[in-house]
Order: sequence, then C-alpha cells, then structure tokens
Amino acid sequence: MRSGEHSLVSVVDDDESVRESLPELIRQFGFRVLAFSSAEAFLASASVGETRCLLLDVAMPGMSGPDLQRELIRRHQEIPIVFITGTTDHTVRPDVLAQGAVECLFKPFSETALLDALHAAFRMTEA
Amino acid sequence: MDKSGDINSDVLLEGSIPTAPLELILCTEKLHQRPSRLPDYETENRALVKLVTALADSPSTIFQTLAETILDITQCDSAGLSLLTRDGKTPDVCGERFYWPAIAGSWNPHKGGGTPRNFGPCGDVLDQNRTLLFTHFERRYPYLLPVIPAAEECLLVPFYVAGEAVGTIWGIMHSDRRKFDAEDNRIMNSLGKFASSAYQALKHIEDLKIQVSEREKAEAEVRELARGLEAKVRRLVEANVVGIVMWNLEGAITDANDAFLRMVQYDREDLAFGRVRWTDLTPAEWHARDEHAIAHLKATGIFQPFEKEYFRKDGSRVPVLLGGALFEGTGKEGVAFVVDLSEQKRAERALRRSEAFLAEGQRLSQIGTFSWHVNTGEITWSEQLYRIYQFEIGLPVTLERIRKRVHPEDLSVLEKMIEHARGDATDFEWQYRLVMPDGTTKYLHAVAHTVRDQGGQLEYIATIQDVTARRLSEEALDKARAQLTHVARVNSLGVLTASIAHELNQPLSGIITNANTCLRMLAADPANVDGARETARRTIRDGNRAAEILARLRALFSKKESTTEAVDLNEATREVIALSSNELQRNQIVVQSELAADLPTITGDRIQLQQVIVNLLRNASEAMVDTHGRPRQLLIRTEREDGDRVRVGVRDTGVGFDRQSMDKLFDAFYTTKRDGMGIGLSVSRSIVERHHGRLWAELNDGPGVTFLFSIPRGSDAKTHAASAMRQS
Repeated sequence: MRSGEHSLVSVVDDDESVRESLPELIRQFGFRVLAFSSAEAFLASASVGETRCLLLDVAMPGMSGPDLQRELIRRHQEIPIVFITGTTDHTVRPDVLAQGAVECLFKPFSETALLDALHAAFRMTEA
Repeated sequence: MDKSGDINSDVLLEGSIPTAPLELILCTEKLHQRPSRLPDYETENRALVKLVTALADSPSTIFQTLAETILDITQCDSAGLSLLTRDGKTPDVCGERFYWPAIAGSWNPHKGGGTPRNFGPCGDVLDQNRTLLFTHFERRYPYLLPVIPAAEECLLVPFYVAGEAVGTIWGIMHSDRRKFDAEDNRIMNSLGKFASSAYQALKHIEDLKIQVSEREKAEAEVRELARGLEAKVRRLVEANVVGIVMWNLEGAITDANDAFLRMVQYDREDLAFGRVRWTDLTPAEWHARDEHAIAHLKATGIFQPFEKEYFRKDGSRVPVLLGGALFEGTGKEGVAFVVDLSEQKRAERALRRSEAFLAEGQRLSQIGTFSWHVNTGEITWSEQLYRIYQFEIGLPVTLERIRKRVHPEDLSVLEKMIEHARGDATDFEWQYRLVMPDGTTKYLHAVAHTVRDQGGQLEYIATIQDVTARRLSEEALDKARAQLTHVARVNSLGVLTASIAHELNQPLSGIITNANTCLRMLAADPANVDGARETARRTIRDGNRAAEILARLRALFSKKESTTEAVDLNEATREVIALSSNELQRNQIVVQSELAADLPTITGDRIQLQQVIVNLLRNASEAMVDTHGRPRQLLIRTEREDGDRVRVGVRDTGVGFDRQSMDKLFDAFYTTKRDGMGIGLSVSRSIVERHHGRLWAELNDGPGVTFLFSIPRGSDAKTHAASAMRQS
C-alpha cells in the first residue's frame, strides 16, 4: 500500500456526481487524484504521463472509455486502467479485460472493490 | 237352318198329301225284261272322247257336258247331275242336300236347284246303293210336284269317290215314247264312273285354284312388303344421316350415298370410275381389324359394328363406326353403314382433357370433390378425395368408413353436419380433422352446395380441401409471432430496465461513494467534520437526483391517453368476438353469445374495456386448450343489473381451479399457466376498478369457471374514471 502513496490517480467520467464523490474518497485513501469530464480533456492534460492508475467510465459522449484505452495503447502509454460503468450489460467486462484493463467495476461499487482494483493497478506498474 | 226349314216344309207337305212307298214307284227289274237296243260303240266312243277332251279343255263345264252326253246317248228328255252338299251350296261328300250343278233337256231351267236329301229319289238311290229306275216318283216325293214336266220314268245311277257316295247321274223320260232298257243301264253305269273321275279332277282343280290364289296373294303381299321396305331403305340411304356403301370383297365400293362421299371427300365421278376402294381408304394399321371383320362376315354373313379410320381424299383421317352384312346369293357383295365419329372423338378428347385438368387441378390444389344423394345415400368421390382420405381408389364410400377416419373430437361436428344436411337443404361449410393410419392429423376444410338432380332429389356437391400444410404453417406462424411478441416485450423491458438502471446507478454510485468518504472523514483523527458535512450534503443531492429520475420515469409511463365516451358493451363484445374468431375456431371452441337487448350504454374507455373482454376470452380459451373429451364451449353474456349497472360474464368449460387459488387470481404475476405473465387479470381488474366496477370469478356447477365484471353506468362514472386515470 505504501508504494502507491502520492501516486497520481486520474478519474475520467462525464457524470458530475461521480467526478465530485469519487476523487474525494480516493484522496481519503491517501492518493493524489485529478478528475476529467471527458477522455479528450484527459488526453489534452499534462497528467497523462504521470498517472499511475486511470479510473475510466465506459459510456461517455464523444470518445468512449474503450476508445481512450485503444488510443493510449497506440501511443504506447500503457497506464493501468480500472473501468467503472453504470451499465448492467456485463458483456463489456471481458472485452475490456482482454484489451489489458486491470478491472471493470459496476456502479455502484463498494469501497473494498475499489481499493482492491487500485492496488492491483499499482502492482502492475511496479512489476 | 236349311235342314230345319226343310223338315218344316216336309211335315207340312207330308201332312197335306199322303206319300207312296218306294216299292210302288220302282220298276228297276224292267230294265232287263224289256227288249234292249244294240250297243252303238262308235257313238259311245265319240262321246267319251268328247268328254275327256272337255275335261282337259274346260273343266268348269264338264258336268254340263256330261249331262248333254247322257241326253245324247240315251235319247232321253232331261238328264243331269245331283251332288250332295252340306250347306246347300258347296259340293261336299257328307252333305245333307242335293244340288243340281248341270241339267240338259227339258229340265234345263231347273239347273242350280235341288232338294233336301230325302225329298227326292237321289236319297233313296244312295241308301239302296244301286241303280234304280223310277216311274212317276212325284207320288213319293211331293216336293218335286212343282218341277215340270213330270217324270214318266227316271233312271238314276249313284257314283262314288274313295268309297263314299257323292251324287247321282240321271236321265228322265217325260212321256212313254221310249222306255229305258239294259243298254241304257250299261251306258249310265259307265258314265257314272266318268262322273266320279270328273268330280275328283274338278275337285283337284278347285283345290289347285285355291292354292294358286293363296300363293298369288302371298306373293302380292311380299311384293307390297318389298316395295315398302325398298322405300324405307331408299329413305335411309337418301336421308344421308349415315353413310351407306355397297361393296364387294375385292375391295371395290360399287355405290355410296352422299353422306359417305362427303365423309371421305370423294365425288360421284370418283365413284363411277371405281376410284373409291375401301382397301385404299383403310390405313395400314387397320388392315388386321378389317381381316377380322371379313372372317366374321364369311362365317356369319354380317360383321359387328367396330371403330376404325378412313383416309380422306386429302390424306387426313376420319374416325368412323362401321357395320354391315353380305347380300344373300353371291357371297361377295354387301352393304355397310358408316358413321362419322369425328365429333364424338373430339368431344371425347375434350372430355378426357377436362377430366385430366380437373384431376390435375384437384391434385395440385389438394382439393377433392364429392356428391352425396341424401335419399339414396349414394356417395361419389373424386380420386383426389380418395388420396386425401388415403382410401384405395374405387372403394365404395360409406358414412361408416368416413366416421372411422374422422378425429374422435370432430365426430360430433360431423354428425351435426349430417343431421343438418338431411334436415334443411342449405349450403354450408365446416372444418374438421382426420386421423390417418400412421397417426398423423389432417386438417380439412369442406364447402357443400345443394342442388336438385333431374328427379328433383336433394344432392350435395362439395369440395374438401386438405388445409393441413396451411394450418401447420399458420400455427407455426402464430407460434413464431407469439414468440416474437414475447421476445420484443422482454427485449423492450430489458432495454427499459437497462436505461433505468443506468440512470439510477449514477446517483446511487455517488451516494455510496459519498457515504464511504463521509465515514472515513469522521473516522479520521481528528475527524474532518467539515469535509464530512460537505460530503453528506452531496449525498443528499445525489439522493434527490435519483428521486428526480424516478419521477421522470413515472411521468413517462403515465403519459397514456385515456378517453371516455359512451360505450355500447354489446357492440364492443361483438367486435371482440369477431376479432378473436380465428383464434377461437383454431382452438375448436364453440362461441355462443347472449347479449341483452335492453343493455344501456356506459361511460368509459372503450378500448380498455375491450381489452378486459379480450383478456377474459383469452383466459377462457387457454383454460380449454387442454380439455379433451367434452365440448369446448364458451358463453359470453351481457345483462342489465339492478342499481343501474351493466354486467358482462364469460363462462368456459375448461380446467377450472380450486378455491384457494381464487383469492390469488387477480394478483400481479400470479399464474396457473405455463407461459403466462400473470398480469392479464391484474390489469383487467385495475381497468374495471378505474370504471368503479368489480371483477370476480365464480366456479361453475359443471366444469369450468365464469369471470364477470360489473360496471355502473351512472353519469358520474365519467368523472370517476377520469380521476382514477389521473391518480394512476
């Protein structure tokens, strides 16, 4: 857990309540956190290279979560991704895991599930 | 008659004048006592030659010639011939009267007269059976008194044919200038023998004449007949109704009527020059058949009519029927009739073609036909119908055989149809099933039409179509449609659920995350109360967001338009029955409706109320699908209730249910059906309740259940219904 402290976690979600609540909780975990309202906004920021874990919504206007995943792979910026989705369609999970995602959480998810996913992401960058 | 007449006159005469005994008037012995003259053979021979010549030349006058010969040879005063007759006219060996066919001399005027048998000397001569000489016989035979001059002496000689006495010849002396002697006796006996021969000859001639005249008469009749027949035959030949030909066995046609010539396109000139030969007219493949006919002709003189073909002059062929006979005599010539069969053959071909069309049409369309004489029970089937029923073609069709094929559940339908058909003659149609020997089911659709045959008897002409394929595809289609509807419903429900879930998951996710953050902030040392307060505030906001989403959803669902109008439930019911009739008929359900004539209209949503009726009909129908062995009857009834209410009841004969289930029937998602959602009755009840009505179920006395709803028709129903809509 220590290894992840002060690491940057970026949250990309078009829903405001998620952008407000989720970074606050992650901050309580002891990580640094930034929130973006769209995939395009995240790509345009200076934080892409610094981000140690990306919490990414699946369905968004414009570029979707999986679109962003493919773009990062194309750019060889392989940031561990934890997808968070409001859909009940569970077929999305195997697809994104196959593309290299660490985890796919279905909203609403528990605090434990979120922590497990974050630690798994950090372990990936350490390795 | 003559005899009785004669007896009367006899009595009269005998009564008036006493008659002398035979001995007193006979003097026969004197013939040999008197001196006899010498025979004059020359005269005698001349007389006999004259007689024989007369017999040959003029048989009809032979008796008169004989009488004159007697007169001539015996030198007497009168001479003649008496013949016994039966009726007084015709010569007859067993006669009862004497007739005088020939008299010469003084008594010549009496020629043609005569006496009853015993009223003259002839009778006594025949009785005595010998030659007798009388003197003044009128003393014994007063019948002869008027015959003058009186007879001084009379010599009578009997003559015979085949031993039977037939008459006498006689000579009379009216004075005593000369007496009969032995020579007269000899000559008279000789002439008596001639008389016998002449009599026989004459009789034969008479017989011959009769025979000849009869023969002539017969020949005349034959000639007459032949003339008539010839006229008839000529009429037949010239009428040209059939072809008539005269022919010989060498192959020639010697004569023919116009009908025949027209048939083969030849003319009279062709015929006259011998250019029309039956051997040339006959195509090669018919030669064998001709040989057969000729063999028959030679054996029996005729040949039975048979069909063959002739070449026409232009080389085309004409089908004919031919029959004929040999003429008697030559054994080589004959006559034949020839009938042109072109028209019949064309008609036969047309008939065969249309029969083939019909059979093929029936086969392709899977339609069979039959006719049924109701009175005689005679049933005629088309071949296709045999195939549909899988009966051997030609098997006699009986109602019993048909019953054995019909599906047991459709037998009552069949019997009803038969009864119906026997009763009133109307057209009708019905559907029923067959169970085939391999256990498969066939669906048939029959349409019957009544006609009257020539005798005015009732006959049904019906078509039966095998609609199994259509039926199965309809069922498959229905099933597919039902599945599709279900899938669509599930799908749209799934999509809806997903979008609702997605909408709600966002704020829920926020709420949970905030709550977790809040707990962590409070658990920190020191507790971050301000942060927790802020976080709790966000939690409340997200909760409100979730509530807003739900409100929006409800608004979305309550957008259903509801209209209120005056509803005639009878009309609404009739519409529903009409719309459902296909499905009901497919499930073999007999629908009866009893719609009250005095039913008032109610105020409400017509579509929603029809939805209730549809649901009740569907429930009833589905409850009876598994019913076997009893009729599937559905009764829908509307009636006016007390308190200004209207009631609709749907009664089935289905499986029913137990009393415990009754309470749960109207709960949503409660169902006794395998594939039901269980919301039909629940929705129905809420619709009825929106109309301030009541929906309930009752178990029948017999099998099945009755569902009923009752709705007030009061003027405030409208507002009640409307407000009920708004509340929901």
